[in-house]
Amino acid sequence: MQVPEEYGGLGLSNTLYARMGEIVGLDGSIAVTLAAHQAIGLKGIILAGSKEQKAKYLPRLASGEHIAAFCLTEPSSGSDVASIKTRATLSEDKKYYILNGSKVWITNGGLANIFTVFAKTQVVDSESSVKDKITAFIVERDFGGVTNGKPEDKLGIRGSNTCEVHFENTRVPVENVLGEVGGGFKVAMNILNSGRFSMGSVVAGMLKKLIEMTAEYACTRKQFNKNLSEFGLIQEKFALMAQKAYVMESMAYLTAGMLDRPGFPDCSIEAAMVKVFSSECAWQCVSEALQILGGSGYMRDYPYERMLRDTRILLIFEGTNEILRMYIALTGLQHAGRILTARINELKRGNVSTVIETISQKLRDSVGRTVNMGLTGKLGAVHPSVADSASKLEENVYYFGRTVETLLLRFGKTIVEEQMILKRVANILINLYGMTAVLSRASRSIRVGLPNHDHEVLLANIYCAEAYYQNLFTLSQLDKYSPENLDEQIKKVSEQVLEKRAYICAHPLERTS
Amino acid sequence: MSWAQAILLARGLSRGCGGICGATVTGAPFSQVSLQAPRGLHCSAATHSSDSWLVPPPPKPPRGPTRALAPHEELFRRAPDGAQDKANFVRAVQTFGQHNVHKRGHVDFIYLALRKMREYGVERDLAVYNLLLDVFPKEVFRPRSIFQRIFIHYPRQQECGIAVLEQMENHGVMPNKETEFLLIQIFGRKSYPMLKFVRMKLWFSRFKNINPFPLPRDLPQDPVDLAKLGLRHMEPNLSARVTIYQTPSARDSTGAADATESHIVGIQTPDQQAALAHHNPARPIFVEGPFSLWLRDKCVYYHILRADLLPPEEREAEEIPEEWNLYYPMQLDLDYGRSGWDDYEFDIHKVEEGPVFAICVAGAHDQATLARWIQGLQETNPGLAQIPVVFRLAGSTGELLATSSGLEEPPPPPPEGQEEEENNQQRQQQGQS
Repeated sequence: MQVPEEYGGLGLSNTLYARMGEIVGLDGSIAVTLAAHQAIGLKGIILAGSKEQKAKYLPRLASGEHIAAFCLTEPSSGSDVASIKTRATLSEDKKYYILNGSKVWITNGGLANIFTVFAKTQVVDSESSVKDKITAFIVERDFGGVTNGKPEDKLGIRGSNTCEVHFENTRVPVENVLGEVGGGFKVAMNILNSGRFSMGSVVAGMLKKLIEMTAEYACTRKQFNKNLSEFGLIQEKFALMAQKAYVMESMAYLTAGMLDRPGFPDCSIEAAMVKVFSSECAWQCVSEALQILGGSGYMRDYPYERMLRDTRILLIFEGTNEILRMYIALTGLQHAGRILTARINELKRGNVSTVIETISQKLRDSVGRTVNMGLTGKLGAVHPSVADSASKLEENVYYFGRTVETLLLRFGKTIVEEQMILKRVANILINLYGMTAVLSRASRSIRVGLPNHDHEVLLANIYCAEAYYQNLFTLSQLDKYSPENLDEQIKKVSEQVLEKRAYICAHPLERTS
Repeated sequence: MSWAQAILLARGLSRGCGGICGATVTGAPFSQVSLQAPRGLHCSAATHSSDSWLVPPPPKPPRGPTRALAPHEELFRRAPDGAQDKANFVRAVQTFGQHNVHKRGHVDFIYLALRKMREYGVERDLAVYNLLLDVFPKEVFRPRSIFQRIFIHYPRQQECGIAVLEQMENHGVMPNKETEFLLIQIFGRKSYPMLKFVRMKLWFSRFKNINPFPLPRDLPQDPVDLAKLGLRHMEPNLSARVTIYQTPSARDSTGAADATESHIVGIQTPDQQAALAHHNPARPIFVEGPFSLWLRDKCVYYHILRADLLPPEEREAEEIPEEWNLYYPMQLDLDYGRSGWDDYEFDIHKVEEGPVFAICVAGAHDQATLARWIQGLQETNPGLAQIPVVFRLAGSTGELLATSSGLEEPPPPPPEGQEEEENNQQRQQQGQS
């Protein structure tokens, strides 16, 4: 869909692509097959391909004559891209690369004709040292030597074709190198970062359908002489689903809008945040919907259990949620660190004025101050109905900033190893982004006069309040000696468990005599 | 001017023939002019008396510009083929433009056209409004100097422009870019019509969805569809079922308005069905109506089937069976109830009234039609056969018939009927006040 029009595609912008995703997302297998074909399979050619490559491959790919697949994962390297073992060696006449290796869990592997394969090539550096770097190739099935295994038996998205692909002495012409030799890593990163945000709208579309189906059931089924919809716990579940769908949509379309701006804005963190949030909420909400249906939700006659299995993969593919959390936190910290480097250096040197400034700020913070960043008030950016939530957001942002400074001061470069802290930072970031998206969407819908805007205001306020208190708790967990910080204990427990690779407590029935 | 005068003279001369160039231009609308030949051109004021005075009445004295008023009125005469639709209206407006290069009397013509829009059914059409604005001569009324800007330049024309926009506003038509361009061309950017246009653009988009109970813009013409829409409006519960008990049969071509079968459409939710099943057959239920429901500009009359509240003595408390829920106790064994803080039961806005069992919209408001409705209801509510039904119709006949459709119960005695009549009158007054 995002193939430019001159090559026969629709040339959709990111926002329209997200909107299409909403419709496609009603069925997991279809969505995944389509996404594997166009969001990652042929994105490489669009982003990094030369004109000849585009003209050669895109028309047939856009029409659907050929299907594309993205081959990066190997049996021994899932998230760890640099350890792939597929090798591409240059032939003697320098016209071909010989590709050898096998890739696993490739969606569309059995159907695809065109593969974007990542392999290690030997690259001669400028200092004439030979290194192994990853290169991206466009490989057609007709080049010979491409075989695929049988389709895998998966838990969910069983409609899509996932299989192993083996390359045995496949001859790839030199013209088919995507980007430059040795630049495969960047190509892979760009491809993966560009397709992530649509997951938010795909999941939102699915959740909306889910809410309809489940509400139909809840309003007609009667237990204890009352409709299910009159019980508080069920109402809570619906409110949760509605709220999460709203936040997901807002975040996805905000990111899509940002990406559609002229120039090539780098919205990779935002896209990653959308992916993490939407995949986790999808799992939670589908699980709750199944719970509302009770026993019939568990039966295979209803689609709920299929949707549950389909949504489980969302947390894993396109970058596992844990990896993405690290990415979000680290990229953010790097950005913050660059700005704060100057100040931290001065502090370390003991510049008197900076020290006094820092201490006075800390004192003022500890007493408690009201933060005003211009969101609320007469000239504020948000509508007065959501002014409370906006002030909560401002407060969170300010205290988060202070905490990040402290963290960088404490850890510096070694924060890369402190995954539990990074996870908390990422969680706060996701909440803050969600709050921003939701507040801006609610203000706009009141100002423009969209229908049911008071409902949106309700959802926005609920989400912001919840996120605010979660953020406060997480921020307190990030302090070193706070009682909420259980990192050390957790580390000790996991050490002891993993040492013995078993559960080490004594059985409750054991006796000493 | 002389060209127009010549046309008018020629028209006056050859009234009977109807073969002038002017007549050929306007074609059919002029054919009825011949009937008014003796009146002459100057006594056109008399024809306006029947028009509603939404806009200021056109000036009467036969001075220069208003001499063209009669042709304007004639432009809107009903064509012999009688179709009052957009094409004829557009043609009439365009004819005015063709008459007269200087467009004399355009202000009056526009007011007249605004009045005639409703007859032609084009009051919600934006293109027609744009066409009407097009009648104004362009570039003439724009202020050119600061003095002209201070004082309202060409006030009559600006008022006329505002009147056009006001009619657009009243009918809920949203102006578009073409309107903006026309207004700028005609009045300039700082004029009052432009100000009104800017305000309309801002507030209309904000208020478009402000109705919490929105209705579609084009209401269905078919009475059955309109009835369904009205019923769904009143009972938005999605589990309610709409049943068409009777559709209007095709009228005879002989024109005998013997509407023996008018439509009956009813609605009932499963909760109402259950309540009706539980209703004590000793107490009567009442068919009341007709009450009016306005949907935009259409009125739909509906009847309800309701019962009175049980007096507190007869109300049975809900019994919670002892062993109901396997998992948790539905009733705790404590002696005290809700404390004052959490007591939300009394709501000053909610007045307890008797249960309503079903609503229906019928074409005719007499008892026979409603009895047909009750019969139809009996199919889904078998218990209804045992319950006496009293018809309290505030209809034009003023009849009060106390009959029972169950036919097993004897009708209630007359003194009770008189009380009911008084009750009925009170209810009528309450219902209609």
